[in-house]
Amino acid sequence: MDVKLINPFIDAFMTIMPQVGFQNIARGKVALKEKAADSLGVTALVGLTKEIRGNVAYNMSDETARFIASTMMCGMPVAAFDEMAQSAISELSNMLTANAATNLTALGIEVDISTPSLTIGDGFTVKISDAQYVAIEMIADGHILEINIALK
Amino acid sequence: MEKIRVLVVDDSRMSHAMMDGIISRTNFEICDYAKTSAEAIEKYKILSPDVVTMDMNLPDADGLECSQRILELNPHAKIVMVSAMRDANLMIQGRAIGISAFVQKPLNENELLDTLRMVCQSNEDSLKILEESYVKTFIKVLHKNLFSLAGVHSDMSYELSTEGKLEIDGIAIIIGFTGKPIGRAIVHTDIDTMNQFARAILGRSADEILSDEEANECMEETANIIAGRSVSMINDIFKDKELRITPPGIIVGKKLSIVNPKLTTFNIVASTELGDLKMNIGFAGGE
Repeated sequence: MDVKLINPFIDAFMTIMPQVGFQNIARGKVALKEKAADSLGVTALVGLTKEIRGNVAYNMSDETARFIASTMMCGMPVAAFDEMAQSAISELSNMLTANAATNLTALGIEVDISTPSLTIGDGFTVKISDAQYVAIEMIADGHILEINIALK
Repeated sequence: MEKIRVLVVDDSRMSHAMMDGIISRTNFEICDYAKTSAEAIEKYKILSPDVVTMDMNLPDADGLECSQRILELNPHAKIVMVSAMRDANLMIQGRAIGISAFVQKPLNENELLDTLRMVCQSNEDSLKILEESYVKTFIKVLHKNLFSLAGVHSDMSYELSTEGKLEIDGIAIIIGFTGKPIGRAIVHTDIDTMNQFARAILGRSADEILSDEEANECMEETANIIAGRSVSMINDIFKDKELRITPPGIIVGKKLSIVNPKLTTFNIVASTELGDLKMNIGFAGGE
């Protein structure tokens, strides 16, 4: 997978997260991985088509998902990962991927994105590619969000 | 034709008069006004309007809080936020809690009506279109391909899903759609049925070895074929849809739920002698 395709996703995170209320955004580890990824509890999957095809999976723990939803909703407490919080995470993954798609267009690569699907549960796996994919850890106000990207 | 009922939440009399002026000559009607957040929630409960217009500034709360309370009562409530400020953060927060659309004050007649129409795009009409054009095509393709791939006859049934989430126990293959409309298909089944299907497709008897990986791949390929053929059939019939499918994402686990807020989804079941193969297809409406 071409590494230049990764930056649009990192840039999207850097752009969008402050807009939804986060202060400190940082990039953590980047790794090339294979086979299915273990979900941390909540995984939003968004597909891409057109000039390149693939999937991006936003993987996070239940606690991180609640923290993000709460931050997006102006600090309203989110005790359980309920419908409202699910809608917030789904919307965030949509915004991040749409922004990354805009960044890809700026590189001359047209993409369309599908609707996000949010999977919730304990101990499940997510496979987004038959080949290698890139796993990037992004940190927003101390909470880790893993972005898995497979594109070709 | 039945009128579409609008609850107007705004504390200014002038706004009421303007709203009335715009809406009175259309197929919308104002079913009531609310001047405060508390009043809006009470009236929403009693009247269950088709759509709510929500001013950002109310005497007892802001429009976001009030919308949040209404969406707690009905997660599918349609709310159009009306605000003098066109603030990006406000829109993001609004979207996050589930507000359908935004219009700016002073109200522009066409903009308001277009937005209300878009948000309310008759559920019944769009359901009929989804069912006839898309769902039935998927059913036809699923039925035909289960026979050609696994050699089994299947009894097909489908229904509009009323559950916001899909329960998964086994494997789920998620394939996204882009084009008109965007959406996704999820083919899912339990592990036992998956293995039965994989054996039938690969021509392996019960005493031959079948790895988990082979079984997963078989299911993935089956889902890919069904989604791909359905979409190309739809594109052949409707020239302007330009539907494309994304590569599959495969979820494996127990007691999972998959949620897609804001999608209209249908559950399709193919009952076969090998077990039930299920498919849930969902489309984003309006936007």
